[in-house]
Amino acid sequence: MTYAQSLWGMYVRWAAAWPALSAFAPFVPLIALWGFVVWLELFPRVFLPGPFEVLQTSWSLLYKGILPAYLGDSMVRLAVGAAAGMALAIPLGIFIGLNQRAHDATWPVLLFFQAIGDIAWLPILLVWFGFGLTTMTFVIVYTVMFPVILNTVLGIRSARPELERAAQSLGASRTRILFEVTLPGALPNIITGLRNGLGYGWRALIAAEIIVGTSGIGFLMFDARRAGSVDEIVVGMIVLGILWYIVDSWILAPIERATGERWGLVTT
Amino acid sequence: MKNLSLENLSKTYFDPYAGTTVNAVQDVSLNVAAGEFVAVVGPSGCGKTTILNMIAGFVPISGGRVLVGGKEVKGPGPDRGVVFQSFALFPWKTVAENVTFGPKMRGVGKAERAKIAEEYLALAGLSHAADRYPNELSGGMQQRVGVVRALANNPDVLLMDEPFASVDAQTRMTLQEELTRIWEERRPTVIFITHDVAEAVFLANRVVVLSKGNVLEEVDIDLPRPRSWDRLVEDGDFKGLSNKVLQLVRSA
Ligand SMILES: Nc1ncnc2c1ncn2[C@@H]1O[C@H](COP(=O)(O)OP(=O)(O)OP(=O)(O)O)[C@@H](O)[C@H]1O
Ligand SMILES: [Mg+2]
Repeated sequence: MTYAQSLWGMYVRWAAAWPALSAFAPFVPLIALWGFVVWLELFPRVFLPGPFEVLQTSWSLLYKGILPAYLGDSMVRLAVGAAAGMALAIPLGIFIGLNQRAHDATWPVLLFFQAIGDIAWLPILLVWFGFGLTTMTFVIVYTVMFPVILNTVLGIRSARPELERAAQSLGASRTRILFEVTLPGALPNIITGLRNGLGYGWRALIAAEIIVGTSGIGFLMFDARRAGSVDEIVVGMIVLGILWYIVDSWILAPIERATGERWGLVTT
Repeated sequence: MKNLSLENLSKTYFDPYAGTTVNAVQDVSLNVAAGEFVAVVGPSGCGKTTILNMIAGFVPISGGRVLVGGKEVKGPGPDRGVVFQSFALFPWKTVAENVTFGPKMRGVGKAERAKIAEEYLALAGLSHAADRYPNELSGGMQQRVGVVRALANNPDVLLMDEPFASVDAQTRMTLQEELTRIWEERRPTVIFITHDVAEAVFLANRVVVLSKGNVLEEVDIDLPRPRSWDRLVEDGDFKGLSNKVLQLVRSA
């Protein structure tokens, strides 16, 4: 018992020193289970590689420079697409949120196009733009845009009217109210839109890379399938998961902690 | 500080679904002298909030006029400071930033704003909370911020709609005493709306009793100042005036 306790104490101290450790810990039983199933040899190795083989493959992909290059390609595509999507979506969302007539005129259209999910556009985009960067960028921008627009509109329209009244009675002009009251109030919604948009965008990117296929993590996975190396496919899957965890915990969560949660607008 | 007058103020609401109209306020005239504290009481639905919202410019006026310092007002403006029942503090601004919001909108510089924040937070006894966010404060503290935020903008008239209704009874008495102290110190022109007859009599120079959108009666409150609950709670004059107003409200 005391041995277990001291082990536990050690873990707690380590986890405090390296937060990444506590993020990794929940995966330990999962990996153990995976290793166990592989050890049972229920499936042939070529169908289901073990953790060590996957680790080895990751290392060699890293070493050869393929993984960093493809990862870089995917990240740049996502970043550029997401930035463009946000640059279009946030002003549009603000405009539609503030303007009742614009809202009436565009809302059904927005819902209509939101329903045609990202990859449903791929067939026609391939016809129009061919297998290239334009198609991929379009899909990402499109996918990021809709959740951001819809959530921005929602955030603006759910502003508390008495805050606007308070600002008016303190002498704020329309423009000042927009920047000092309406936008900060909508920020938690905008961030939620961003979180959804990035999540969908990331998935759409992988799908686009699989189909358009020149480089990137999606291409890596699909190419590995052609070569029959399942371990590379698994590497790709793991990379996707890790990347999203990093985007969420290093970028999105800190923003949320510093804004909506700090202000008591969203309860955690 | 300036005087406030309501001339034959009326408000008719239209309900588009029922196709009916409600005469929420009918032909109310009232003069509030500069530096006077007027409390408005009356049963629920008699039009108190509607009157205040028309003065503040939040809802359009159906008939009559509102004059501040002899000038007719249209729409909300910094000449009429408002304290809200729901506090209406900006959650994303610190206490100091909330208090100096009005001056910032007027273009007052940073150094000057810091001075204003210091002065008014001291007035509210909140100097220690300057850098906190509203959600980190108790309800009583939040409303103290609400009051000094309005005051710090130097309005001609201060409008308050049941500002202490959502805090506990203990805190409410403290806030009432603080408000009289601040009023005695600075003499703003105040319209204070409340359900609470004792609160109205404790705070005001004059209590206006409303009934179904009309002024039923006005009662002058000539209790000596400074006022405190310790003294007034057993005071015969205070009890007599409270009873008188209470009877009026019940008959309204
Ligand atoms: N936006 C509105 N649309 C239609 N009718 C309204 C509206 N606001 C108020 N009324 C009606 O006007 C009348 C007066 O309402 P008001 O809110 O001014 O009363 P009040 O005296 O402030 O009541 P309370 O003490 O409950 O706050 C009520 O009959 C109410 O139903
Ligand atoms: Mg009311």
